[in-house]
Amino acid sequence: MATRTVTAELVHRSLTRRRVGAVDTVVASLLLAALLASLAVLVTLLVDVVAKSVPVFAERGFDVVTARLSPRPEATGLIQGVFGSVVLSLFVIVAAFPLGVAAAVYLEEYARDTRLTRFLVSNVRNLAGVPSIVYGLLGLGLFVKLILEQLLGQDSGRTLVAGGLTLTVLVLPIMVITSQEALRAVPLELREASYGVGATRWETLRHHVLPTAAPAILTGAVLTIARAFGESAPLLLAGAVLSNFFAPAEGASLLSLVTSEKYTALPIVIFNWSRQPQEEFVALTAAGIVVLLVVLLAVNGAAIVTRDRFERRR
Amino acid sequence: MGTLKRWSALAAVAALVLAACGGGAAEPVGTNGVSTGDGSSGSIEVSGSSTVEPVTALVAERFNQANPGVAISVEGPGTGDGFQRFCAGETDIADASRLIKDAEREACAAAGVDWVELRIAFDGISVITSVDNPEVACLDLGDLYALVGPESEGFATWADADALAAELDAAGLGGRHAPYPDAPLVITAPGEESGTFDAFVELALDEILDARGQSEPTRADYQASANDNVIVDNIASNPTSLGWVGFAFYVENQDVVKAIAVDRGDGDCVEPTIASISDGTYPLARSLYLYVNLAKVAEKPYLADFITFYLEDGITAVAEAGYVPLPEALIAETKATWAEVGG
Repeated sequence: MATRTVTAELVHRSLTRRRVGAVDTVVASLLLAALLASLAVLVTLLVDVVAKSVPVFAERGFDVVTARLSPRPEATGLIQGVFGSVVLSLFVIVAAFPLGVAAAVYLEEYARDTRLTRFLVSNVRNLAGVPSIVYGLLGLGLFVKLILEQLLGQDSGRTLVAGGLTLTVLVLPIMVITSQEALRAVPLELREASYGVGATRWETLRHHVLPTAAPAILTGAVLTIARAFGESAPLLLAGAVLSNFFAPAEGASLLSLVTSEKYTALPIVIFNWSRQPQEEFVALTAAGIVVLLVVLLAVNGAAIVTRDRFERRR
Repeated sequence: MGTLKRWSALAAVAALVLAACGGGAAEPVGTNGVSTGDGSSGSIEVSGSSTVEPVTALVAERFNQANPGVAISVEGPGTGDGFQRFCAGETDIADASRLIKDAEREACAAAGVDWVELRIAFDGISVITSVDNPEVACLDLGDLYALVGPESEGFATWADADALAAELDAAGLGGRHAPYPDAPLVITAPGEESGTFDAFVELALDEILDARGQSEPTRADYQASANDNVIVDNIASNPTSLGWVGFAFYVENQDVVKAIAVDRGDGDCVEPTIASISDGTYPLARSLYLYVNLAKVAEKPYLADFITFYLEDGITAVAEAGYVPLPEALIAETKATWAEVGG
């Protein structure tokens, strides 16, 4: 083994990420190449999609976002998909977020380390790895058929409620895991200090652990919502309409649109457009992807702003 | 509580987004809407062939403009899936790119679903290759069997099929356009779930399959896709490719794929055109159908209105969607069938 003299200079160079020797140079350039390769794919995709979508936005403007689905490429639009996707995300925020955080708090702060707890935790981890199409089947069998159609007697259970519940159970394990990690990252000393001055478990949680973990929990939530937003396979099974035309009866209220009418989502509209014969749908598909990305960025942006405010508050 | 305020702010933002989007999707509340209280009233559900879907969707859009009180949805998962839902009584209309199968008839009968079959259009299954393939211009049914039939399994080049074609020719089954070019044979076509697959097998291969005593419909070693645009892309990107799609997909992509003329066996090479499909000289012409649930027609008066509208004003959508309109006599026949049961 070659020995090498450790000098203060050498340590300083390593710590400030300057290169030390040939091996470092090679490793650094390989790693940089890996980064550039993945970026290149992303940039190519983005440039391709944006370039293809430009004619649509130039010609139709915002109309392509606000129009309803139509079999005529010159008239079709995304509003039904945007509406469906936003409502589905709300389902995830309203249902999966509190449930997931609560489950994680229980597992990390309250549950004792028994065999049962370990069994539950490993199950949650496995559930997070189950392919989304399996959740789609669950959604079809449980929410569409059993709960909405048989138990609640709806004529068709293929509604946003079924889709929202399906996505909720799909992302719940991910929500639990990311929240668990966030809680685990809170230093034990914080809890010790809190208990030390006589705080109860709930007070410690409420005033110290949760506020400290909040930014990381919110980051997890953002990723979770993004995941739900881009899902299409489970929704197809859970009753989303893959179609060039569907319309609710005139006068349908917002509530009935959510609870009893058919629905679709942005990724599904994009998939449907990609399989149409007419040339114009190629550009429309690209435009749909751009809108999906913009909405996704907006949702993420809003969540990041909220997270930053939490962080600044501390 | 500062935290509570923040949360309500987040909820308010979400609600605003929802309201903004909802405003676009929800029409102003009207009074003449058919009640949606019990779900079934005021809605028409169509599911079935992805080939027919564009036609029905165009008709539905126009019908909806005139009758905004009726909720309509048109889906195209495939003819087989469409019949499955139709025979379970879940849908009112099944779009079909082939006739109903015996098993499906039985399923409908078992569930007590009584239906009428309405022919609405012609389609020509177009056998396609790349525009860069000058060598193959015409094939007969025996040639198609030699290239994609079950006995062709493992053929990697067109020329591999020469011997089989000669054998078929000797038995009077076609295959008269051999020898084929010595070039890779790359096949992309619809999969077994597709009505276009079934129709191709029925129109092009069935007779020869019977004569040769084969039980499998085609070779299994080709790339199957449910997405016609994927098929067109693969065919276009490979100069010695072979595949088949519905007429509309060929017409829309003539810059990258070309149709191979088909010979019925009389030496007459016919290209798929509106004229040749309409008069029946193109050998791979098929009909497109609507199957309508008669009990639902009795239950929902606007469903009868929709079908009548489809056959009268709506039928121009056939040409608009890229398919071949029925000749006068045949459309009159369809209307007569409809008039008997519900029109």
